[in-house]
Amino acid sequence: MLAHVKYAVKYLLGRDQAGNNFTVFPDDTFLVSYPKSGNTWVRFLLANLIYPNETVGFANINRLLPAPGVSSKRFLKNLPRPRILKSHEPFDVRFRKLIYLVRDPRDVVISEYHFDLKKRYIEPDVTLEQFVERFIKGTTSGYGSWWEHTASWIAARHGNPAFLLVRYEDLLSEPVSETGKIAEFLGIQAGPERLQAAVQRSAADRMRKLEKQQADQWTGTKNTRKEIPFVRAAKSGGWKETLPGHCVQEIEIAWAPLFNFLGYPLQTPELDNKTVPAWVRTGQPL
Amino acid sequence: MIKHLMAGIQRGLGLHRPARGLLILPDDIFLVSFPKSGNTWTRFLLANLRFPEQPATFENINRLIPDPEGTAKRDFDRMPRPRIIKSHECFDPRYPRVVYIVRDPRDVVVSQYHYHRKLRKIEDDSPIEKFATRYLAGETCPHGSWGQNVATWLYTSEGSPRFLLLRYEDLLADTARELAKVVAFLNLTAGPELIAQAVERSSADNMRKLEKKQPDKNELMKGSRKDLSFIRAAGSGGWRKDLPAPVAARIEAAWGPLMQHLGYELSSPTPSETSQVPGVRSQENLMARLS
Repeated sequence: MLAHVKYAVKYLLGRDQAGNNFTVFPDDTFLVSYPKSGNTWVRFLLANLIYPNETVGFANINRLLPAPGVSSKRFLKNLPRPRILKSHEPFDVRFRKLIYLVRDPRDVVISEYHFDLKKRYIEPDVTLEQFVERFIKGTTSGYGSWWEHTASWIAARHGNPAFLLVRYEDLLSEPVSETGKIAEFLGIQAGPERLQAAVQRSAADRMRKLEKQQADQWTGTKNTRKEIPFVRAAKSGGWKETLPGHCVQEIEIAWAPLFNFLGYPLQTPELDNKTVPAWVRTGQPL
Repeated sequence: MIKHLMAGIQRGLGLHRPARGLLILPDDIFLVSFPKSGNTWTRFLLANLRFPEQPATFENINRLIPDPEGTAKRDFDRMPRPRIIKSHECFDPRYPRVVYIVRDPRDVVVSQYHYHRKLRKIEDDSPIEKFATRYLAGETCPHGSWGQNVATWLYTSEGSPRFLLLRYEDLLADTARELAKVVAFLNLTAGPELIAQAVERSSADNMRKLEKKQPDKNELMKGSRKDLSFIRAAGSGGWRKDLPAPVAARIEAAWGPLMQHLGYELSSPTPSETSQVPGVRSQENLMARLS
């Protein structure tokens, strides 16, 4: 009962957590990805691009590029519009304009494994192989499996001009030009110097330093195991050394059509002919 | 401010509608469809199956198989488990088990057009061609377009043991057979007699009678025009007579491959014979060449 009263008071003051139950405005833009796909990095890139005079860090990123999941409804309502918001939601029909950031799930699973250890979401003795099983089933995250997440967005929106698909791997190899594409999508006028500056200020080394200084001032790293860093390898293809061969094969068998669709080469050549059927894609404007 | 205060008090008492804030339990079952696809009929069928001691009506259906948008949180908390919950949402990975009803989008547009007339959302003489344009763009309801709703569920979940796909047309053709599939999927204990009783109690004729008796007992039709009924044809293929051919062709052009995947025959030549789409890379090259 007391919990009910507390909730009612919080609600009245607008202090209740928004979660995914918040008002979406038609002019909102979202940065969406499955967890551990480079979302925080892109948040830094965007914040540095939009606010060149701010020192972007973990301490202020939730203010500069807000995440409804950890913001109050009042805070979200009072943001200047148009808003850019971070999200990990699978397809949400209310999100009209979005950047969809995707990453090779063979790397995502390793990243999520370390993150879940850091957060104490899993016991320290859970092995990577055990984790892969859960990852494929989609039980490691509240946002569904990687397949469900990616498939739902591709099915509903791919081909729509208000949907920008960005691969984490392309952002790593061509950070300036990929950031330029995102800037253009957002309607931000940014020359090469400004893009370059945003990329440099969001570099992995710099983010590692900021993490050391500000880990206790950010929801993502507060009260987590400090010996495991949040900004880890920040590269692609780590799975080739780290992930046991049978795990790679299991992931590829489960999700081959989307690997091929997204241009991630498979280790299992027999799966090369698995494609996304035409009936899936309903996102093109008519 | 007063409104906000009232909302706060309602929340404290659990009288608000949970909508997206619904706390989902691990044994919940969701009955999902795009609007106007036979959801209310299936709700009656399942309610009559699950609660044979109280025949489903438009008055009690929101309690028996509640709608997060239309039933109070308190009622959700008081329900016997496992709960069966109605939804029109696009894919949601939190739903533990899903019965998904799909219906031919050419019949859906006709049904939704008449429903919107009944609700006075559109003028009586507003042409269906105009409605169809908004329908194709997903602007006639807050649950995406028909294609998005269906494709997000099918591509994420088809083949999963947690997902049962039913076609409205199959339900019409042999209701008892399709209901037996639901019984097996949900591990309900219901023999042929109980199934037959549920079918009888949820027949279109019976539902029409209930609608006449209780026209204002459900938000689906509260305050709507009484000269148009909620339970309309309750048939399939009506689009052949009610839908102008160019509108049917536009729907097929938009969702032809998906309709064929579901076994709905197309009336116009297949829009594109490509059964596969190129990946992102080659797609970009294609776009570059075309522009």
